[in-house]
Amino acid sequence: MFSKKTNELIPEAAKPVKEALVKQFGNPFALTQFEGLPTNFGDIEGTVKTVEPSGADQPLIRFQVTGLSDAYDKLQGLPLEWTSGKGQGHFSRIKEYNFETGMIAVEKSEEIDPQPGDTFLVECVRLQFGRDLYNRHCMHCHGMSGEGTGPTSRYLNPPPRDFRLGIYKYTSTKSTSKAQEADLERTVKEGIAGTYMPSFKLLTEDEVSAIVNYVIWLSIRGETEKKLDDELFLDYSQEVYDERTSEEGGETREEVLEELKEFMELDFPDTLEFATESVSEAWEEANEEAALVIPKTPRVPDTLESRERGRILYLSQKTKCASCHGPQGRGNGTATQDFWTNPATNEKYKNRGLHDIWGNQLPPRDLHRGIYRGGRRPIDTYRRLAAGIKGTPMPAFGGSLSDEELWDLVNYVMSLPYDGNR
Amino acid sequence: MGKGWCLFFLFWPIAAVVSCAMAPWIGWSFPYDNAQAASNLGIRIDGLFYLILVITAIVFVGTQAAIVYALWRGANNREERADCVHGNHKLELVWSIIPGIILLFLAIYQMNIWADFRIKKYYPEVAVKDPIAEVTARQFEWRFRYPAIGKKLQQKPQPDDLHSVNELHVPFGKPVMIQLRSDDVQHSFFLPALRIKQDALPGLQIPVWFEANKPGTYDLVCAELCGWGHYKMKAHVIVQPEDEYQNYLKTLTEQQFYDGLGKIAATENDSESEATEK
Repeated sequence: MFSKKTNELIPEAAKPVKEALVKQFGNPFALTQFEGLPTNFGDIEGTVKTVEPSGADQPLIRFQVTGLSDAYDKLQGLPLEWTSGKGQGHFSRIKEYNFETGMIAVEKSEEIDPQPGDTFLVECVRLQFGRDLYNRHCMHCHGMSGEGTGPTSRYLNPPPRDFRLGIYKYTSTKSTSKAQEADLERTVKEGIAGTYMPSFKLLTEDEVSAIVNYVIWLSIRGETEKKLDDELFLDYSQEVYDERTSEEGGETREEVLEELKEFMELDFPDTLEFATESVSEAWEEANEEAALVIPKTPRVPDTLESRERGRILYLSQKTKCASCHGPQGRGNGTATQDFWTNPATNEKYKNRGLHDIWGNQLPPRDLHRGIYRGGRRPIDTYRRLAAGIKGTPMPAFGGSLSDEELWDLVNYVMSLPYDGNR
Repeated sequence: MGKGWCLFFLFWPIAAVVSCAMAPWIGWSFPYDNAQAASNLGIRIDGLFYLILVITAIVFVGTQAAIVYALWRGANNREERADCVHGNHKLELVWSIIPGIILLFLAIYQMNIWADFRIKKYYPEVAVKDPIAEVTARQFEWRFRYPAIGKKLQQKPQPDDLHSVNELHVPFGKPVMIQLRSDDVQHSFFLPALRIKQDALPGLQIPVWFEANKPGTYDLVCAELCGWGHYKMKAHVIVQPEDEYQNYLKTLTEQQFYDGLGKIAATENDSESEATEK
């Protein structure tokens, strides 16, 4: 549910973070609508038709509704906002829902008193649809909250993606942008060749977009959590707290908690707002045309000359392709033998070779395999070169190379699997 | 209780015959269209199945009838004593030779179908001459490699090959052959509607031919427990008229050599043309 980092905060600091997340995102069993996210929550309107009389000792109140017959049929756990009648503006949680009879049960409370004719909104219907599909098809690898540690994940290499950093490798966008929805949809439909991500082509378009909608929502949740953690971590992680309250630190527990309380009252709400806002904005911007990597010139004809120019570029100091991918493109460059420093912790990695931001060892691609994870169209390879591969040491060459040079490289790289010296 | 046992043993053959007779109407029979296979070869294979079903049904009903008769006679007539028999040479011969003949008949009778289904020499020539695609099973999806339009499928991948995943298109009206491979473990190429099943083995390339007798979309599933995602390994085989098939190959070619300029509706994100929604 919550990240490792959240759980490393002292309990007093972790509590508000968890509370804020639950308030804004709910949990996978009780989704919550949070205005301002670029997520399609999918509200539907309904009207109360009849109310079942219920005894005073009954905790639930049941009523039959109209207007939900075309909607998704599993609405359990979703928030229901009353838009007219006594409970206007109040929320209930749907405890039971029977699609066949149109019967909804919610908890009784002082504020609400459903009467025939009252209208309401059921929120997050689309998100719930995506969640159910995600749980069926994706959860066993990618985990309940998209942390990439589902029960199947321990058997997989490369490991399933952790969605919570909001970083996806195979996109059509610039190196600083998030993934487009269409990119993730393509990944779901086509699968990722050479990994355990299978193709889900037999799902309908609607199902795929609902899954992607949910996955992006999980990403936003994870990124928000990370931003809040980063804000608190330097002062209030368990480790820092122990240091501060030790002999050398010289602070008392009360002093630290007082400072934390002050921070929570004054700065935390803004931090929270800023965190979700910036994340949402980034996701929205990714779907705009400006974020796309679009070549200025069409593909340079795939001739021997072009490939040769590409090969010279490949081996040049300008690109240093060979330092990772090896002089012959076998994925065995010298960089794979070095010990690298983890930029996040400034410590050396335990293993030789390159690593990605998720901390996994990452061999550079063997370019002779003819397996293209992000798609095998020339434009896909072009985008890998121009925008790099996010979250990995593969850099973006869009700035330093001209379009023609990039296309030459594409032609060279795409000819490697067929060069006969397999 | 003696008569109770009579009823018990009488019940099973009746239940078996009734349920087999009703099977096509209550969905217990073969998949697709009233249990009718979607390929001519499949119909012949079904014929074999029904033949075996009829033979076993006759034997089953006969032996059960004998049991019921013996029990009933014993339960009804307490005076009659059972004979103690120490083997009977004639009987032994009869019930060895008759099943032997039946088995031999089945073995010879099915040879033609088996040869048509499995022995490359007897495959339809049209199909063998021009394999339509290479099917690679991998954990947990089906990847397809077609030759470029107007070319023949080569053993090794070519730069202009067309690739797709989990969706195999084949032309209608002629037998087609695919080359089956596996990337990792044993899989099995199973087209239930066409009654085609062939294991895919790592390191082997196995030719499989099939011909659907009507256009449509057929399920392709894996029939070999290949790992945790075995149940996910589902694809569609789309049998379509020749012109539609050629169109599909054209679209696939366009998509695959797309260089990011110009518009191909099917490949690029809607957002490319309608991105600036605000």
